[in-house]
Amino acid sequence: MWYRSPSFILDNQEQEKFLLRQQLDQQNDDVLNPPPPPSMSEISIQNPNPNISAYYQTRAAHHAVVTSDWLAQAQAAVSGGVTGEDTVEKVEEDDRVVEKGESVIEEFNSWRKQPDLAEAVAAIRALASVIRSSKATTMMELEIELKKASDSLKSWDATSISLTAACDLFMRYVTRTSALEYEDFNSARSRLMERAEKFGEISYKARRIISMLSQDFIFDGCTILVHGFSRVVLEVLKTAAQNKKSFRVFCTEGRPDRTGLRFSNEMAKLDVPVKLLIDSAVAYSMDEVDMVFVGADGVVESGGIINMMGTYQIALVAHSLNKPVYVAAESYKFARLYPLDQKDMAPALRPIDFGVPVPSKVEIEKSARDYTPPQYLTLLFTDLGVLTPSVVSDELIQLYL
Amino acid sequence: MPDVQALVNDFVNKLRKRKIEGSQATARHTAEFLRSVISQQRIPYTNQAGALIDSVKAVGEQLIAANPVELAVGNVVRRVLHIIREEDLSLTTAAIGDLNISDGSDDDENDRDDRPVLSAAALAAAARKTLRPPSLHTLLEDVPNATIVPLSSSGGDSEGKCKSADKSSRIRKLKHDVIEAVNELIQDIDTCHEQIAEQAVEHIHQNEVILTLGRSRTVMEFLCAAKEKKRSFRVFVAEGAPRYQGHVLAKELVARGLQTTVITDSAVFAMISRVNMVIVGAHAIMANGGLIAPVGLNMVALAAQRHAVPFVVVAGSHKLCPLYPHNPEVLLNELKSPSDLLDFGEFSDCLDFGSGNGEPQLHVVNPTFDYVPPNLVSLFITDTGGHNPSYMYRLIADYYSADDLVLQRKSAAGN
Repeated sequence: MWYRSPSFILDNQEQEKFLLRQQLDQQNDDVLNPPPPPSMSEISIQNPNPNISAYYQTRAAHHAVVTSDWLAQAQAAVSGGVTGEDTVEKVEEDDRVVEKGESVIEEFNSWRKQPDLAEAVAAIRALASVIRSSKATTMMELEIELKKASDSLKSWDATSISLTAACDLFMRYVTRTSALEYEDFNSARSRLMERAEKFGEISYKARRIISMLSQDFIFDGCTILVHGFSRVVLEVLKTAAQNKKSFRVFCTEGRPDRTGLRFSNEMAKLDVPVKLLIDSAVAYSMDEVDMVFVGADGVVESGGIINMMGTYQIALVAHSLNKPVYVAAESYKFARLYPLDQKDMAPALRPIDFGVPVPSKVEIEKSARDYTPPQYLTLLFTDLGVLTPSVVSDELIQLYL
Repeated sequence: MPDVQALVNDFVNKLRKRKIEGSQATARHTAEFLRSVISQQRIPYTNQAGALIDSVKAVGEQLIAANPVELAVGNVVRRVLHIIREEDLSLTTAAIGDLNISDGSDDDENDRDDRPVLSAAALAAAARKTLRPPSLHTLLEDVPNATIVPLSSSGGDSEGKCKSADKSSRIRKLKHDVIEAVNELIQDIDTCHEQIAEQAVEHIHQNEVILTLGRSRTVMEFLCAAKEKKRSFRVFVAEGAPRYQGHVLAKELVARGLQTTVITDSAVFAMISRVNMVIVGAHAIMANGGLIAPVGLNMVALAAQRHAVPFVVVAGSHKLCPLYPHNPEVLLNELKSPSDLLDFGEFSDCLDFGSGNGEPQLHVVNPTFDYVPPNLVSLFITDTGGHNPSYMYRLIADYYSADDLVLQRKSAAGN
């Protein structure tokens, strides 16, 4: 009989000791000689608060019903980040060193703060601003500049999948589009910028297409289980309600962000009968459910999705009770990732408020999302059409071959 | 065009009264009918392909509405539309090549295009993209709105400057090409059995036991082709209640010298452990790789999966349907007359509407089709070879253009 080794306990103890020693060292250092001013690039490239992923912060700010406690934390984190960036900016102006990598991140941050803008749109607009301010005179120079900018954008927030996917998609467009080859540099450049500006429209149109495509699948009298707050899923159900379909929605609560509360609120506004479930009541209510509808943070190469924590277990329950699981996602969320298991991706960490103080020795699972393998998904509704999970890899191969 | 409308009504009536049945016969008749519609269509000087597409689409919608369960009708209509688009494209790319030479002298042509004129190759590449389904490639460039409009207008306008003789020859050429291609399609539908049967020896091995249900011509020819290549094997035929077409198949197989055993449908589970492979036909293959098949096949598929027996489906490419099944058990099914199941004479007192509360005590439901989900199918054998269920969408992308799917879908929703 093989027993699991207790190494994880020992490892943790080792790590704690190490951290403690490091802190002590640092304190000693501080006393002996004050720390040198941190170099500019380091600050701006690194996420201001490594314990909460930047991706998650935007999500929380856009969708979530946030507890007052967490709000205070987040504000502290954000204000800390902002002041850090401000100083960087001032120093930059003094030194007259314009680092592309930093300005693109600022641009991206200013775009992503708009609540109705998808992250991918913010990324592509930020890249467009790079083109606008660039002094390149050839396509090659422009490409190199863009590559640098997109790399720094990607490394600034490695947890956001649609950010990475959008950067890749735009870079691909710049390098591969045949129409660009036949134009001179200036018109190609303005064309690129125009396309980037229009991307917001494309993203909006994508949602419309998806909601049209999925209408056939929502039949009268069906019960739909929704997990998480997805703009696309909301659009789908909104259209269905406008088409006078009579259906019922179950919302999971979506602890700890309470995404379900906000979603059920939206449903109630549309006069759709809606019921809130606690997250652990999914299996209990699954026999009443006709289909599961989820959005996606990213669609990966295997055809599986990365989405809010809990999607995987809902898909498993739905699969075992033979209920279809439908995913609504725009095609710019297709990412070149191939996670082999749950831990095979950068976790998007988030704070979790349990309402009562948790002893410091208790570990907390802070990841904000999980990976659902393709065999548990029935169909994906995208702006490219209704797809089976296996089509996703085909699309990605066609684009990046 | 009163004559065309009369023809359409005639054909619609035939479909509606189920005078034409079976997907191959329907596909063939539809293709022939559309060919005659195209040949009678008067084509305007500009935008010929558009006129053809519109007329075929209008006729197609009526045909689909006449028998929405017979998916082969819609498939052939979409195939013909795709053919028209392709032929038009090949003609325009050829024409643009000619145009571009005269472009330099033609000043107002340049003025009309607000953007600098792209080279012919770029335009053709862009146009070709519209035939393909939307992909990540085209996500950032909205080709259909931006590039195609100037393309067709420049094609149509500058054509007005050409000599009329040249023009009429081009019109005739498009129509001629389309009819030629539709003829090819009809031939494909006719010969699909042979092409599928050719692959039989690769799949059926010596001393194997094959199970099938009901009667499908494709399956029959598939089995016979293997027999002709000197394979000896045994066939179990489930009789396929309530139409008992399995009896007919068994007779045909015995006539060709094949060892045949007839079993009842309910005996499939009992016999499946002795079977090496299940080979069946289908009514239609959906875009997700699911199957609309004669009733009883879902049970066979489940039995095959339970005993890990390969479940092979043979079907011609005209059965490939670009739609996704939603609620297929209800929406894509047809309820036949109960006379197949029961003798009215014997059961007339149970079916009496006059007794009790005015509702008969006995109900008879006779559905024609089963939906077999894609995960139960091991292999599809079509005239282009063997394919995985997850590969079906790829074939569909080759045969149909994306514009037609959406349009048909809308009209289907309206009906």
